[in-house]
Amino acid sequence: MIWPKFRNWFEERYDTNELKKLAKSKLVPRHRYDILYYTGGITLFLFVLQFITGMILAFYYVPHVDYAYEGIIDIVTKINMGWFFRSFHHWGAQLCIVFVFIHLFGTLLVKSYRKPREFVWITGFILLVISIFFGLSGYLMLWDERAFAAVRVATGGAGNLPVIGSFIKIFLRGGTDVTGDTLIRFYAFHVSILPVLSLMLIGLHVLLVQYHGMSVPVSVENKQKTGEPFFPNVFYKDIMIWLVVLGVVATLAVMLPPEIGQKADALAPPPEGIKPEWYFLFMMETLELFPGTIYGFNGETIAIICVTIGILFFSLIPFLDRKSSKGQKSHLFTIIAVIYLIYFITMTIRGFLS
Amino acid sequence: MKLKYSLITRRQFLNTLFGGSILAFFSGAIYSVLKFAFPTLGKEPEFVVLDKNEFGNLPPNSAKSFAWGGVLGLFLKREDGTMAAFRGVCTHMECNVAYRPEDKKFYCACHQGWFNDQGVNIEGPPPKPLENFEILETGEKIIIARKGAKVDLAKV
Repeated sequence: MIWPKFRNWFEERYDTNELKKLAKSKLVPRHRYDILYYTGGITLFLFVLQFITGMILAFYYVPHVDYAYEGIIDIVTKINMGWFFRSFHHWGAQLCIVFVFIHLFGTLLVKSYRKPREFVWITGFILLVISIFFGLSGYLMLWDERAFAAVRVATGGAGNLPVIGSFIKIFLRGGTDVTGDTLIRFYAFHVSILPVLSLMLIGLHVLLVQYHGMSVPVSVENKQKTGEPFFPNVFYKDIMIWLVVLGVVATLAVMLPPEIGQKADALAPPPEGIKPEWYFLFMMETLELFPGTIYGFNGETIAIICVTIGILFFSLIPFLDRKSSKGQKSHLFTIIAVIYLIYFITMTIRGFLS
Repeated sequence: MKLKYSLITRRQFLNTLFGGSILAFFSGAIYSVLKFAFPTLGKEPEFVVLDKNEFGNLPPNSAKSFAWGGVLGLFLKREDGTMAAFRGVCTHMECNVAYRPEDKKFYCACHQGWFNDQGVNIEGPPPKPLENFEILETGEKIIIARKGAKVDLAKV
């Protein structure tokens, strides 16, 4: 047999005992909320699926303003299985964002961010921003009316930030307006810059989780059952759940292929009732709450500042929540987390209905 | 019903079921990826249609190129007035060949290969003759078809 020979060859050179010991001794806590531990793994798995389908879609996609839209139509109509992989990449992305949010609010509500895991939260928060930027840049690849309008609005919104706004806007657009240059730039973000950044951050995020071990919520610290071995029990459970997720993505991809709108035209008005991707709806609704001018100031700028402060506060919660970092229950931050969650959900639903 | 004897244990049965479904799943996934990665686009055509005015009146001992799908096709009128059509790609290393009227031969510049006006490799490294196409004439059109291909005249 070649396998034992190879294993000997490898073990003579590398000490794998430490890894084996780690795999054997790693326990996953068991308590009321332990289902939340799976959300991170699902997100990771969806990221892997996005990497695979994205790589092969790049075989055919042409990031040029004259060919992008036609190229995707060719992919879904002429290339073998192209319709499936494009649809799969779309639905994988949607579920990715869904699970990023579930993972985020899950860890927020059970306060897994508390000392000593602040950096886990920070890396996760950056990954959230990257995921959303992945979504926005990936959506522009289609170069249809909705993508064009969405990117115009999103980059324009960033342009309303005081002082640095116009720098960000021009950097993202590659000029003063959304043109073919923006498409190439977003393609570069989507296929090279963001993947590398996210790989590094995912690595760091997972490594930090291994380093700290799984966080146990304060409320159930005294009510835990004995931990479950990670290998093979939790590992197999993980894989079973991933298989279900894969089935869901594949089913959605087959049953609900995403639409392709009219090709973007910089001179045409956007179609009636145009809406961004669902994870931007809360932002859209927030901006609509503000009037055009507030005491002589530009309402848009004030809205963007408010949203930025809200997001900044959100990202700094581990450092602001003093009580839970001392290992005490922190009702105030539970309420804050619930407010964030309710705001996000109601605004998203309002965006859908409006 | 409980069997008295069994060729396999329960564990073997379950392992085979589990391993088999994993194998089936991955072969399906890899098959579809490979199908995607190896496109049928750009395949060579069964036949192409040329304009008779353009190709029928060639002077003797000259060749004119046409597009055979994505590759070079050569339409040849020999000195005696007979016509032939070849895939203009050398059978050695896939360089394009050119017709040399002064030698009445096809020449490949990459490795100095020669083919005569029947497309047969006569000198240099090419291992096989050039692919020879059939020529059909209908009205104002000339149809160049792969040997043995069925030409659907309705599509012409």
